[in-house]
Amino acid sequence: MEKNMKKYFPVFVLPTFVAFTVVFLIPFVLGIYLSFTEFTTVESATWVGLENYIKAFTQDENFKNALWFTIKFTFVSVITINVISFFLALLLTKALKGTNFFRTVFFMPNLIGGIVLGYIWNLLINSILGVFGFDITYDADFGFWGLVFLLNWQLIGYMMVIYIAGLQNIPKELNEAAMIDGASPFSVLKNITVPMVMPAVTICLFLTLTNSFKLFDQNLALTGGAPARETSMLALDIYNTFYGRIGWQGVGQAKAVVFFLIVAIIAFVQLKITGRKEVEQ
Amino acid sequence: MASIELKNIRKTYEDGVTVIDNMNLEIKDKEFIILVGPSGCGKSTTLRMIAGLEEISGGELYIGDKLVNNVSPKDRDIAMVFQSYALYPHMSVYKNMAFGLKNRKVPKEEIDKKVKAAANMLDIEEYLHRKPRALSGGQRQRVALGRAMVREPAVFLLDEPLSNLDAKLRTEMRSRISMLHKELETTFVYVTHDQTEAMTMGDRIVVMKDGVIQQFDTPQMLYNHPKNMFVAGFIGSPQMNFIECLIQKKSENYYADFTYYSIKIPNKMNDYLKMYENKNVILGIRPEDLSIADKNDKENVMELYVDIAEMTGADYYLYGKINNEKFIANVSSNQNIESDKKYKLKIDVDRIHIFDKINERLICD
Repeated sequence: MEKNMKKYFPVFVLPTFVAFTVVFLIPFVLGIYLSFTEFTTVESATWVGLENYIKAFTQDENFKNALWFTIKFTFVSVITINVISFFLALLLTKALKGTNFFRTVFFMPNLIGGIVLGYIWNLLINSILGVFGFDITYDADFGFWGLVFLLNWQLIGYMMVIYIAGLQNIPKELNEAAMIDGASPFSVLKNITVPMVMPAVTICLFLTLTNSFKLFDQNLALTGGAPARETSMLALDIYNTFYGRIGWQGVGQAKAVVFFLIVAIIAFVQLKITGRKEVEQ
Repeated sequence: MASIELKNIRKTYEDGVTVIDNMNLEIKDKEFIILVGPSGCGKSTTLRMIAGLEEISGGELYIGDKLVNNVSPKDRDIAMVFQSYALYPHMSVYKNMAFGLKNRKVPKEEIDKKVKAAANMLDIEEYLHRKPRALSGGQRQRVALGRAMVREPAVFLLDEPLSNLDAKLRTEMRSRISMLHKELETTFVYVTHDQTEAMTMGDRIVVMKDGVIQQFDTPQMLYNHPKNMFVAGFIGSPQMNFIECLIQKKSENYYADFTYYSIKIPNKMNDYLKMYENKNVILGIRPEDLSIADKNDKENVMELYVDIAEMTGADYYLYGKINNEKFIANVSSNQNIESDKKYKLKIDVDRIHIFDKINERLICD
């Protein structure tokens, strides 16, 4: 058996390996290379060193705006999504009537694609703002909170399901022991429930952090970056640089590399920190 | 320190199933009470109602003189040890034990003193800074006991605390818990399905079946004078033999007849048996009330074809069949006994029990 496994190992690994190389590894390495060149097509690339990176940070206000906007957006939505979904999960793990129904309802927005969601909420928000004579592109703040609201609406259900699974994993006796130990409901939450769901917190923080930071379709559909690119997030800014400004493809590529590094660092640091807080039973 | 009183306690679940009905129980202050019975008999539910973890559907529960039906667990002055120990996995042993005191705003120095004293008593001082996962089952068990102890509760509730331990450790912990009870001088209520635990630890034992108390008595009384066949069969190991037999009166004496044998019943039982003359009853004989008969023994002797003879050291367990029912004798091992042979057994008739065949209640013993 083991001998056969060894013998056929390459046969089984090859398809995935080839696919991974062709669609991920090669473009990724090529992308990093292109960020140091000026190019319109892959064949026409000429080496320019760090010029694209310098350009991105010095000659492009939009990039810095987008970076700051994305950080603000990620900060707010990570907190709201996780807090709300955790408390919904708490509520829906209590023995109440209709919990299954509500779990399904809260999960449903997650089944709709980002672009569609963006357009639907664009219509909804504009119809409300329309009453006061505005629309979502009137002020960057409208766009910001619109995006926060949209992503909350989309992700809360999903995170809630993960938190529910975490909460259901806590042995019932622990809560009972804490009750007998005289812990108040808040103390139980702080000293028992939260430490016990840390594995779920790790996953949810990771998912919300990366999803918020990488947000693209919803951004494109809801505000398109308007007004004046003020609500444009990093991914949208990269897209606009790459496809919108002739001769700036290399800069777009450099931004994408920076973007990747930021996401990777955030995710890595977060996993390290929360992972340490997890408990083995 | 407190007494506990259950008055007409009833537990009905939301789906309408009643697991305990009209239960009455008086537990004295400082008593060690065991609730014992097969799984599903309602013993754990009773304990959880005393703890306040399970709502009481009807009746009154008093701890001390206080009616506690609607008092939350933390205000009942109780501590509980769970079968799974329920230690907080993310806290060190020290924090596990200190948690209850911290919630009650006890000063830090006092917490420290109490935790260390309890740890000392239970020999867990060296593990105080470990997490529960780094401890063995027996050590976790002691931490769970310690967590309950530091609170100095009026009542200790223990829900099958030894069932996750191996046999040797269980015996050791049994005596440790008994010692603890002596030293702490508080009321202990202990749930188990193991009759050995019940017999060895309890001052008094509540034998339960299907949510009904079968008998509430001292271990000696339960063993020597079981009130019905259930208690007779549940208490004692190996369990009591039951033989259906016919009561007959021959010249002023009563005899219990089965297969080819006629057992002469002691005269002290005569009064009780008048009503049962020529009727079938159940004769109960404990395996240890049988012995290998001498050649001279003529009366109250029966023959058993031994299918299997088990040597346990001091005793032999002889397994056979009487009336197609399993029959066990427990005899001394100072003689050699082999399987697949017939042996004559003498019955100690002064220790027999006679039960009503229909309602299974004791007639006399």
